[in-house]
Formats: sequence, C-alpha cells, structure tokens
Amino acid sequence: VIVFIHLHTTLQKETPEGLVRNLSIEIDDGARLIDLVDILGIEADEAHTLFVVQGQIADLDHRLAEGDVVHFIPAISGGNFSAEPKKYTL
Amino acid sequence: MQVWRINVRTQSFTQMPAPGSWEHLGGRGLLARIMVDEVPATCEPLGPNNKLVFAPGLLVGHMLSSCDRISVGGKSPLTGGFKEANAGGTTGMQLACLGIKALILEDQPETQDWNLIYLSREGLKFLPAADLLGLGVYETAQVLLKRFGDKVALALIGPAGEQRLSAAGIQNLDKDRVPSRIAARGGLGAVMGSKGIKAIIIDATGTEKPPIVDREAFRQAQKMFTKALMDHPQTKVYSDYGTAAMARMANGFGALPTRNFTSGQFDGVEKISGEYMRQVILERGGEGEPTHACMPGCTIRCSNTFADKTGASLVSPLEYETIGLMGSNLGIDSLDTIARVNWEVNDQGLDSIEVGAALGVAVEAGLMEFGDGNRALDLITEIRKNSPLGRIIGSGATTTGKVFGVLRVPAVKGQAMSAYEPRAIKGTGVTFATSPQGADHTSGLTIRAKVNHLDPQGQADLSRTVQINMAGYDTLGACIFAGFGFAAAPEAIRDLLNARYGWSVGTDILQVLGKESLKLEREFNRMAGFTKADDRLPEYMTREPLPPFGPVFDVPDEDLDGVFNW
Repeated sequence: VIVFIHLHTTLQKETPEGLVRNLSIEIDDGARLIDLVDILGIEADEAHTLFVVQGQIADLDHRLAEGDVVHFIPAISGGNFSAEPKKYTL
Repeated sequence: MQVWRINVRTQSFTQMPAPGSWEHLGGRGLLARIMVDEVPATCEPLGPNNKLVFAPGLLVGHMLSSCDRISVGGKSPLTGGFKEANAGGTTGMQLACLGIKALILEDQPETQDWNLIYLSREGLKFLPAADLLGLGVYETAQVLLKRFGDKVALALIGPAGEQRLSAAGIQNLDKDRVPSRIAARGGLGAVMGSKGIKAIIIDATGTEKPPIVDREAFRQAQKMFTKALMDHPQTKVYSDYGTAAMARMANGFGALPTRNFTSGQFDGVEKISGEYMRQVILERGGEGEPTHACMPGCTIRCSNTFADKTGASLVSPLEYETIGLMGSNLGIDSLDTIARVNWEVNDQGLDSIEVGAALGVAVEAGLMEFGDGNRALDLITEIRKNSPLGRIIGSGATTTGKVFGVLRVPAVKGQAMSAYEPRAIKGTGVTFATSPQGADHTSGLTIRAKVNHLDPQGQADLSRTVQINMAGYDTLGACIFAGFGFAAAPEAIRDLLNARYGWSVGTDILQVLGKESLKLEREFNRMAGFTKADDRLPEYMTREPLPPFGPVFDVPDEDLDGVFNW
C-alpha cells in the first residue's frame, strides 16, 4: 500500500539533501496511522498533532488505504482543544 | 481615559469623560456601543450622519505581548451594517498614552478641502493635506514622518480611500514605521475619505502609559500570560512560518480557496506555502525576514518581510489571507507575483482580501485568465486610475459580480470571504454566514478544532463559541494569537483587567464582553434592516459540490438562526 505524506512546519525532516516535507512510502496492508508515525520516526502525538487523512481528521488507530494522502500538522492543539465544541477556546 | 470628539465640518473638538455605560468596554465592544448609542442605523455610510471611531482595546497601552491593537469602526459602505476592523502597529498604543478611550470623527466638511488631524498632549489641530492627495500610502507615510518626526503613529488612507471605494482600508505604522498594518475590511477607508481626512497623526510625546490601579498584581498577571504564550507550541510555528503556515493545512482539508472558490485544493500550493516562503526568505537574505513583530513587545512575531532575488524588500508582511485570495484563488503560484500585487494594493490603501476576491470574480467575467499575474496587476492599476473598471473592482467582489452578471460570488452581507472554503470547514462557514460583520476570518475560525469539519452537526455550537471569544479578544485589543496564551491561562484576562482598572470581574469576562459586543452589533444591524435572510451563504455553495472531496454547505438554516441564542 502506497500512501502520500505531507509533513507540516516543524515536522519537516532535515536531510543531507535539505528539508523534506512531501514523500510517498509503501506500508504493509492493514497498517494504521500509528505505524506510519513509527516508520517516519517523527514526534507526533494526539495532544500536539493534527492527523488529516483524505481531508478529514483521523485518530492514530485509523487504518490506511491505498493512495491515502496524510497530513501531519504539529502543535495545533497544544492540549487546549477538544472534540467538545463547548470546551474549544480559540 | 477620555472621549475625544471631533467635528470635521466645524473643525471643533471636545474632550469628555466616557459615559458610565462605556467605561467597561474598549475596542470592538465600545465601537458597537457607540454606534448603537449615536449613529442612526439607516444613515448613509458615506454621509454626514455616519461616524468614524477609533478605540484601543481595554488592555492596550502596556506592551503586553500581542495586546496593543486598535479597533476602527463605523457603518460599513460595503455591508451596510456595523463594522469593526482592527490592526496591530503603534496607533493603539499612542492613542492610549494620550488617554483616549475613543476618538470620534463626526459630520462631513462642506468644502472639497482635505485635512490632516494632528493629535498631541495639547489637543488637536487641523492641517491642510492638499499636497498629499493622490499619493500612495508608503510615500504619504514618509512625508508625514519627515514632517512630524519618526516617533508619531499614523492612521492614513491611500488613493482608494480618497476615491471612497468600498474596498478601502485604513493603514497604521508597524514598529519599524512601515504603514502596512491595515484595518482592512468593510470600507472604513472610504468613510475616512468621506470625512475629508487623509491622515491622523498621533503624537504621544511627553505622555506616560495609561494608569494601572494595582501595579504588582498587573505585573504578576502579565508574567503568567507571557509564560503561557511562550510555552505554547503554536507560538513557535507562528514565529517561524507566520500565518502562511495555513496554506498547506487548508489545502490538506480541501479548504484552500482556489480559482474563485471552485476547488478546495491548489496544485501549486507548495510554491505558496509558509514552509517554502521561509526557505525562500532565508536563501535570499538581504532585507527579507521570516520573523518580524508588528507591535512593540510582541513575542509571537508572526509577521515577515518578503524580499526579491536581490534581497530588496517586496512587501511586509506577506500573510496567509492575501496568499489565499491573490494566490490560489487567482491560480497564481508565485510568491514574488503575489508580493508585488500585495504591495500595489497596500499602496493604494485597499483590502487585499476584497480585491483578491473581486479579481476571482473578474476572471469568471472574462476580464483575465487564472494564473495571469500581469493582468491582475493591470486591473489593480485601473483602480489607481479611478477608471470605471477600476472603480468596479475596487468596490469589491459583490459589486463586481453584479456588474458582470457572475453567479459565483464568495461573499456574505456584501463582504468577500477570507481564505477558508466554507463548504469544507463548515463551522467557519457558519461564522461567515452569521457574523454581524459579513464574511470574515477574524470573526471566528474553527479549522483548528478537532472535529469532522464536513459534518453539518455541531458546527453552529462551535461557531458560537469562537465568535463570542473573538468578539471578546477584539474588545481587549488582543491579537487572535494572544489567545494561545489566554487559552492556557484564562485567569490572566481577569487578573489583568482587575489590576488595570480596579474591577472585580470573574474568569468569564472574555465571554461576557464578547456576548455584549455581538448583541450590540446585531442590534445595530437589525435597526439597519438586516434579517435572517442576510445570515446565509451564497446559494451556489449549498448546491455545487466542492472538489476534491465534494462537500456542499448543508448546515441547516435553523442552526444558523440559533447561533446567537445563548
């Protein structure tokens, strides 16, 4: 299964060839978002990162499909946002 | 703190203490109170009965990080309703140091003469402005700084405001005296033009910061707030990447306005992204800066200076909303082109969002092709020439759509949407539809909430919460990004206000102020003739699916009508 990855702002990877923010990789059939985090070796947890798969916010146990476009967007929540709209403060 | 009232016809001036019902308000909330109290809601926006009011927020004047914003208000010539537009820079700080809670410009001159208003500790004087007419904002600011010294603050209009165009804003100096901090939206520059005022010079020489009732308590609260702000991970993102970090994020959600809002993803997004912009600025060096503060004392410094290949500044700042409306919305994938177009609209004193949206509509009208930056510049030059075509575009997206018979006009209450596609971020769609200000990102964004943005359920609740909070922040004079700190330390707002004014407000003060402001704004709009029919998105957005994910805007009308039932 091949997925397309977009790393945002502070999650871009420093490489000898320069900053990398867009890449595609092959993962096992049935792999979940959390597996992708491990493979990429990036620091991304649900409290500090927004995971967007095919235009929608996804959990770390989200199962990935062929051709999925995955965005890792850091530090958006800062722990201050919640799925409960009433607790949302900004 | 006093109310300074200026009659531009008689050139007379009074200083009075604020009435009791104004005392607990500042910024946006105070503007709403003044408009309801003093301005007939049915008045002509460019006539003698409209007023132009400048009001610093409640916390302005103390160099609290990101809390020195100036609110400008009046009846909008663009929407016909209440309008508050706010800006960073130094105007708010200097007005507060002069002890001005509200500066109210009234009436209309009987002659065609243009004036400057010079404010200082000694009061004010009117000075002739004939030599500045037709000059761009950048040159006008240089002349005024030479004449009055470089310590003053300025609020000024460009040729667009002089020509009373509905997309004209009012510009303010940033901390480096660049006149780029614009109270952009709703045509307040045209209102200033209708009063015959080219610029207001604010000279706070010899003054001190506004008084603080309990200095030690204020210092403690300031420390708590600054720490919360600095510790917030988002602060780092905005320092390094600025608001432009939003381009790839919005694109990821399929919410980046593209080709006149006909797609939510742009194939050229990488070349207009905040990440790419930072790389370019650092590579080019020279006058370019990826991180820049618009106000003294700001720790976030989300602003920037974008330089060309030789390192010479093209524009400062280059922001997400402009990148969205003048980049992807026009099919333009070059930051250099966007920066040039941005400089040109700044110099004319125009709102880049409104003009960008008008140009998107102009493409559908056959006046240009998507991706043609040179043609975009030509059309903006028409505005400077004050030609009929230029006047149409400079009157905004709605007027442009009407004149050329274009159906797809991304606007609400006559004001163009900023760079969030409401079909893909439906909570923001609710804000665009229902805000008393017309479609406006500063009225309450929801893209950062961890919700399913495509689900119509719950979006009205989400929008209500952020609209209340934003109206509260605008009343404090706090930048949207100060909210990162206040969200982490909500008691800081309570403590700062209590220490500053000797009040005893509770932790819900942000919401109390926000609700009061929204209630007054809606009251003004109601008296101006607005109904719930005005709280709707353009109909085509409820019918035409948005590529690539295909949503329509389907939040029920009952939900929209219930947003302000709290």
